[in-house]
Amino acid sequence: MANKKYEQLNDLINQHLESFEIVKTKHNTNFTLELKKEDLVAICSLLKETKALNFSMLIDLCGVDYLHYGIDDWETTNATASGFSRAVQKNTIIPDPDEEYQEKRFAIIYHLLSIEKNWRIRLKTFTGNENPPTVQSVTSIWGSAEWFEREAFDLFGIYFDGHPDLRRILTDYGFIGHPFRKDFPLTGNLEVFHDEAEEKVKYRPVSITNRPGVPKVIRKKKNS
Amino acid sequence: MGLEQQQNDLIIDQGAGFVITSIDKLVNWARSGSLWPVTLGLACCAIEMMHSSAARYDADRFGVFYRPSPRQADVMIVAGTLVNKMAPALRKVYDQIAEPKWVISMGSCANGGGYYHDSYSVVRGCDQIIPVDVYVPGCPPTAEALLNGIIELQRKIKKTN
Repeated sequence: MANKKYEQLNDLINQHLESFEIVKTKHNTNFTLELKKEDLVAICSLLKETKALNFSMLIDLCGVDYLHYGIDDWETTNATASGFSRAVQKNTIIPDPDEEYQEKRFAIIYHLLSIEKNWRIRLKTFTGNENPPTVQSVTSIWGSAEWFEREAFDLFGIYFDGHPDLRRILTDYGFIGHPFRKDFPLTGNLEVFHDEAEEKVKYRPVSITNRPGVPKVIRKKKNS
Repeated sequence: MGLEQQQNDLIIDQGAGFVITSIDKLVNWARSGSLWPVTLGLACCAIEMMHSSAARYDADRFGVFYRPSPRQADVMIVAGTLVNKMAPALRKVYDQIAEPKWVISMGSCANGGGYYHDSYSVVRGCDQIIPVDVYVPGCPPTAEALLNGIIELQRKIKKTN
């Protein structure tokens, strides 16, 4: 069974990472290690360099914004056959840009793979209330992190300290804002059009407003 | 030798013959019979555009022959979602096509933003950037629908002047 393999991994993690403060959770056959962001680079290089673990590959790196986490439009314990018909007019909650972030607002998730051992592991770290949110870059450990970190910077505005070339990767040239943040309006702020008189493609403020959207439903378990 | 003689006899038998038309009609006929589109696949619509030119639907029957350069093209098929970052490039490609030129907007996204209408990064219709002649609805439109759009454009060209 696969479980034996993960017990072995569990033992190795306990053995090698005992000096760090980590919270370990097990999902199915996968571990998630929640760690302090100060320990990030040390733990990452340990996971890669230790021969017995050998996490040689960074599969993915992504950001998460927990701003609206747990806030729902509709709380229920039942599934419906007819669906939730009422739409919800969502208003983007825009916090003061200069204020400090709530402690657990931004998280960064690392998915690692050990090709030799066929193990996978997930690391998670919160950026804390720093503004702008900043973590250490892991580009010196895995080269593949370079574009992933640029993506997380572009979409979430998370800064990666030590990244060789931290600039936007996906959004438009000269784009302002970080669109995957929960306080970024869905329709954005600018749209493009062609100015016949000037024969130029130009920007103007968006001409549409936010439409009522699908309500966010959190379906709680009946007995909890 | 014998064949040449036969052909000459044929012409003599039928007389010289003549066709009456206007220059406009002749030019329109020529233009509509050889619409070379610039390949501008932006998203999944491009797959259907490929189907329309492949063996089964064979857009070459209508003189539609895809070109990799705007300088060799007459028509632009905007196939897919046009995003803000692509908009200046699309306009540049359009400007580089020699006159006369036409535009087919293919699929919901190019027609009006489609599924991504409310998005922060998508142009709500490629007609914000370039003038469009024919809109082909669908998500994505089938290869037949695109062929119908091409035939509609040919009819439109034949009606001009």
